Amino acid sequence: MNDPENEPIGYIVGGGLKENLRVRLTVSPQEVQEGSFVVVRSNEWQFYGLVTDLQLGATDPRFADEQSEARFPPGVAALLHGQTLYTNLEVLPALMREIGPELGSSDYKQRMAEFALKYPGGQSSLLPIKTVPSHHALVRRAHAGDVADIFGDPADPGQFIVGYTREQGHPVCIDLKKFVQRSSGVFGATGTGKSFLTRILLAGLIQYNQASVLVLDMHNEYGYDSTSSDTNSRVVGLKTKFASRVRVVGLGRGSTIRGQSPDFDLEIGETDIMPADVEMLTRELNLKETTATTLDALFRDFGRNWFHEFKNLVQGATIEDESGKNVPANGSVEYWARQAGINELAAVGLHSKCGRVFGRKYIVEKPVSDTLGEIIKALDAGQHVVLSYGENETDLDYLLVANLLTRRIREAWEERTNAFRAHDGAKEPRSLVIVVEEAHKLLNREMAAQTTFSTIAREMRKYYVTLLIIDQRPSQIYDEVMSQLGTRISGWLGDENDIQAVLSGLAGRDALRGMLARLQPKEEVVLLGWGVPMPLPIRSRRYDDRFWQELLGHNAVKRTESQILGELGY
Amino acid sequence: MIVESLEMGRLLRAATTGCIIGCKVSQISLPSFGGLVRIPLDQRYQVFGLIYDIHIDDDGLVRQLVTALNVPDDVIRDNRENRNVPVEISVLFTGYELDGRVFHLLPPRPPLTLDAIYPCNFAEMVRFTGTGRFGYFRHILRAVNVPIPELLAAHVMQAGQAHTVCGDPAWTARSTKELITLMRDDYPALMAVLGSLSDADILN
Repeated sequence: MNDPENEPIGYIVGGGLKENLRVRLTVSPQEVQEGSFVVVRSNEWQFYGLVTDLQLGATDPRFADEQSEARFPPGVAALLHGQTLYTNLEVLPALMREIGPELGSSDYKQRMAEFALKYPGGQSSLLPIKTVPSHHALVRRAHAGDVADIFGDPADPGQFIVGYTREQGHPVCIDLKKFVQRSSGVFGATGTGKSFLTRILLAGLIQYNQASVLVLDMHNEYGYDSTSSDTNSRVVGLKTKFASRVRVVGLGRGSTIRGQSPDFDLEIGETDIMPADVEMLTRELNLKETTATTLDALFRDFGRNWFHEFKNLVQGATIEDESGKNVPANGSVEYWARQAGINELAAVGLHSKCGRVFGRKYIVEKPVSDTLGEIIKALDAGQHVVLSYGENETDLDYLLVANLLTRRIREAWEERTNAFRAHDGAKEPRSLVIVVEEAHKLLNREMAAQTTFSTIAREMRKYYVTLLIIDQRPSQIYDEVMSQLGTRISGWLGDENDIQAVLSGLAGRDALRGMLARLQPKEEVVLLGWGVPMPLPIRSRRYDDRFWQELLGHNAVKRTESQILGELGY
Repeated sequence: MIVESLEMGRLLRAATTGCIIGCKVSQISLPSFGGLVRIPLDQRYQVFGLIYDIHIDDDGLVRQLVTALNVPDDVIRDNRENRNVPVEISVLFTGYELDGRVFHLLPPRPPLTLDAIYPCNFAEMVRFTGTGRFGYFRHILRAVNVPIPELLAAHVMQAGQAHTVCGDPAWTARSTKELITLMRDDYPALMAVLGSLSDADILN
């Protein structure tokens, strides 16, 4: 009972479900911070909530207005302040649980017997908040047991420590199994530690083997070791620590990533590119409205070979006809346009604009091997793939390759899932998480309808594929996608629209808004959404040698030989 | 068992909420403003009160002497000690003791005329003021025509000293805290009380 963590910090004085609970603080306001995880015991129920505000108050404004310490001796002034000036906490209630009678209550034995009968397992389930604690119910800080009770015990399999409570430093876990069941997002303004947090999450996913991971690594950060742009210190890549389980794929033949050769190179066959892939680049290539018609005609005329054929057409080649008049020569864009009944200028315009795509070195007529298929095979076999874009870091490369690869994955996983559901002996598809950096480029309002990503975010949960979106401008991401995100982990955000986007669809938005704007950059993040039992700001785990030691050392999950072989694809 | 101590006067008149005591000038050193007094009615029952006023009335001879020149010292002393008009001490009832139990309620019946009044010693003061949760403050706070801030300051100072001597120095802070709680809705009155307590220099 003398444990300071069990000491009350205040008592309930008012509030409700809509306007949050008000707690009169009985300790110094400096001992409690916004975002503290607090527990309220009221009769046979325990309520769990989050401090969202601290407000100074006075029984009469005159007590606050006058500096009574200058008027009265310190002893009298202290007593006056204690009785007339106070701090109220605003607590966002999130969860509640029936915990049985209080020890020492008069009918303890009888009530306990009733409780045991009601909950044979000894513990009732957590419920979303549906009622309020009574007046004057005591409020205390959550201790390690409460945090483990709500967020999961770090010792349990599948529970991964993502950070620590800000004040007491109790470990806070996320349930990785639940995490991969729906798409999730990591948000935060630039320099708030998104990439580090993502590395931590990916390391957890890989280590605990909850899902295969495909990282669309636009900036070549995740595969091999790199250097932190802020501290100039070495940042360990996933390949370094999981050499056998992570495959780094470079874009284009002979690519090097941070001076190292990738495991294999990704080359895209011209026949893999569909008209929709080019259509998706409308904004990037500044394409006109006529593009769709022209692409349709190309596909109609040349089939899957359309890209190759269109690329090889020449602009402006003419030939003299019988009447001595210059007409488009066979093999020219204009000639094809005339034949196909397409506006010549539109066709020429598209051909010119596609020049940037035609010139990509990783798009080849016939790839040496089916590297797209290789990636899918590796993912299916339980391996993890980091697709590093190497020198092809433009938005065009990112959009084109990401969309193309994801489309193939979607098809493959849909096929596998349907086979599995048809009960024809097919094995259950492996869960797959696609990590999308700079997600707003693929999931903005204009693009969302055209790319595969929005479909994945909305529907592919049923097909074992989810997204992990990493972005600094969540407000730019299509609302429908944002609303589908299960777990949201957000660092500091300054823009009001971004904050609103991250909080969309969540209860207690108003209360959480200020919290997001007051997070400490690089240190703190807020866990939100369906994937976590309640919102909570935490001090995020450090991505350092200690992290790896803890992950691979003490908590290493022992895998059997067959599991290891399975992960390697045998 | 109610212990007798030095008598300081006898009751002149009484009502439900207080009484007036008359005493000789020779007894004037015993009562003090804010002092706690007790009026035993029988072996089981005694009434407690606080002195809030000490009134010295004039008489015809004083009126003549006060304007006379060169009044000899022995005449002054004789007038003071042998005067017929008593010193009147006003007491506010704050509670009573019945069968060894202290109540911070108004006494069921007031004492009768010529009942003897005694000042409380430290032990009695601690016993009365240390019982319950300062319920007797409400009798003081609702009194009219009483210098409440000064009375409270004087009482807290005296009772605090008694408690300190008897091993409870925190009583003063507790009583002040209770006063603040009771008076926090009346800002001017509370400020006056705290001002008096500050002047009494008991809580530094």
